[in-house]
Amino acid sequence: MGVLTAEQSVTTRVRRKAWSPAKLAPLLWVGPAMLLIAVVVLWPVVIMIRTAFQHISPDGFILGSAGWKNFVYLWQEPDLPGILIRTVIWVVSIVACTMLISLVLSQLFNQKFPGRRAARWALIAPWAASVMMTSIVFRWALDANNGVINVFLNDIGVLYGYNNNASDWLGRPGSAFTWMIIVAIFVSIPFSTYALLAGLQGIPSDIYEAAKVDGASPWRTYRSITLPLLRPAFIVALLINVMNVFNSFPIIWEMTRGGPGHRTSTTTTFMYQLKQSYIGESAAMSVVNFGMVVIIVLIYLRVTVWGKDEAS
Amino acid sequence: MSRSLRAAAIAGVSALALGLATLPHSAQAADTTLNLFAADYGTGPADSSQIYWQGIADAFHAANPDITVKVQTVNWNDFDTKIQTMIQNRQFPDITEGDYFANYAQEGLLYKASDVLSDPGNPMPVFKALGSYQGEQYGIPFTTSSRAFFYNKKLFAEAGIADAPKTWDELQADAAKIQAKGHIGYGLPLGPEEAQAEALLWFLGNGGGFQQDGKWVINSPQNVETMEFLTKLVTAGDTEPNPGTKNRAAMLEQFAEGQVGMLNGITTLLPIIKKAGVLQDSDWGTAPITGKAGPLDKTLGVCDFAAAFKGDGTKQAAIKKFLDFTYQDKYQIAFAQEYNLLPGTTSAAKAISVQIPVLAAFVAALPKAVQYPSDPVWAQVKTQIQQIIGTAIGPDPKSVLDTIQETALKGS
Repeated sequence: MGVLTAEQSVTTRVRRKAWSPAKLAPLLWVGPAMLLIAVVVLWPVVIMIRTAFQHISPDGFILGSAGWKNFVYLWQEPDLPGILIRTVIWVVSIVACTMLISLVLSQLFNQKFPGRRAARWALIAPWAASVMMTSIVFRWALDANNGVINVFLNDIGVLYGYNNNASDWLGRPGSAFTWMIIVAIFVSIPFSTYALLAGLQGIPSDIYEAAKVDGASPWRTYRSITLPLLRPAFIVALLINVMNVFNSFPIIWEMTRGGPGHRTSTTTTFMYQLKQSYIGESAAMSVVNFGMVVIIVLIYLRVTVWGKDEAS
Repeated sequence: MSRSLRAAAIAGVSALALGLATLPHSAQAADTTLNLFAADYGTGPADSSQIYWQGIADAFHAANPDITVKVQTVNWNDFDTKIQTMIQNRQFPDITEGDYFANYAQEGLLYKASDVLSDPGNPMPVFKALGSYQGEQYGIPFTTSSRAFFYNKKLFAEAGIADAPKTWDELQADAAKIQAKGHIGYGLPLGPEEAQAEALLWFLGNGGGFQQDGKWVINSPQNVETMEFLTKLVTAGDTEPNPGTKNRAAMLEQFAEGQVGMLNGITTLLPIIKKAGVLQDSDWGTAPITGKAGPLDKTLGVCDFAAAFKGDGTKQAAIKKFLDFTYQDKYQIAFAQEYNLLPGTTSAAKAISVQIPVLAAFVAALPKAVQYPSDPVWAQVKTQIQQIIGTAIGPDPKSVLDTIQETALKGS
């Protein structure tokens, strides 16, 4: 229903402008895309918001309106403050580390060295592998009993013994969360590096020659030429990363399931866990998540407009 | 162009011919497909329950060519989530085997046991209440188990301990001795897989439980005291580290590898021990569950149920045929033997006690076994216990138990 009305309103608006049928022609091209967006993007959003205000039994039966109760229950979850803080730490630390490492790596891969092609291919591996698979590999490598990382740390004398608190990386919330951040950085690096590498290759070499003629130091060249010209690529990579990391589910799910308790959950995994018993409350969490994504998108739009002004 | 036209014409004619050929048959009886969704009790592809069910499905199809049974099995870890998601999305299976949820009966989604089974009296009456909602039975006991205390005699000897502990204090002292030898003293799986069983066994040891006379008592003083004792046990390093993140399956494996001194186990541990090949039969023993003041005279009895979903209500006769077929003693016994569990029917339990004397004691323990609450909200309570009971190990067990109690009282 909502789809139809959205479509109709667009049609009438176009019609009001002018009655010539030729003016409707663009709609033929744009229409299918708009319909697709309406069905797969807007409609689920409508459903999600509606669900957040419904009282739904754990088996999916709608029992009536819930008003703001789902949001109240969500706010009363004793674990929510920790989960929100953790989500911020999760996004900020992963994205910051990823971008810094990618800046360095892209610079390296932009240099000519023997075996560069092979190295560039190798960089794709963490990206090409299923994130779920990577997470499971890390989970087993960190096993307190016989994980390969623990065996190695024991061999070099950093750790002593197995099945103790120190070797149980995924059992302690703090260390588990740190390890998951490391895995997330590991799988995020290839995309950012390639995005930045593309940006680096787009910088004309004559600018560098001019800088050399002027006697600029390498650091000065990097700060005054490379970084500013890299900004468009950097911003795109940064924001896509923020969205990806914010919505990241498989790493946490496979490595700790958010446990112990909810102490390694982010809002995304928490939303999923709520869904098992409380669909309405889970939808309320989705709405909050959606709100945060919208804010990030708005920031993105502002920043890209600002980027264009600077460049022109 | 003309070629494709000709091809279409041929296809049309042959379809017509096929239709004509099958017409008399389809007029006789429409083929029915039953979707069976079951938990996988196996430890790998070799002993997956998919094989067991497919065997029954094939034999059944041979006897009833107009009914096809599609089998889908999923790992126990994911079973509850998966089935719940299917129900939430209205993709009802026809038959499930695994956990039974009273709330599905409450929502009117299930057939009564008597509607889909010719002899509803044969599935063990002990578990009838657990599979019932408002006095009507919906869940049909399929397989059962009772818990016992397992200990590694080899490690006990190494640590200089003569007998299995009887009280909590003895258990802690023994665990400390084993721990001193570099092994895990007591295996305490409070991770999401089956924390509700481990927690209940410990609660029982102190006269507590989840419910008392039909009322939720999860945050009772006895239970808080129990968690305080467990915290003491964990802090002293007498268990594996961070039990709140450790699942039962992993703990059983480690016991089988000879790294764990003692734990509360079930009969499924027997094949795991055999497969690991580390412990001989004389290297381990079982004993009653340890209580605070002395060993318990009862244990936790767990029952997994089959349940039949109404769906569009057209498949009742086919479901009944299939369940009657499945509940034959030979299939019940085959399942029990495959996974070292106990049968779900009285007749098969009797037969297996004679066939496999080791299991007779476990069968005998079933009638007085303590069971999980039969309450529609149990599904949510269980989910929450699995997720957060591990965090009750710590400075403030009361608040965690309070949270779970609130969930129970809030209802669904």
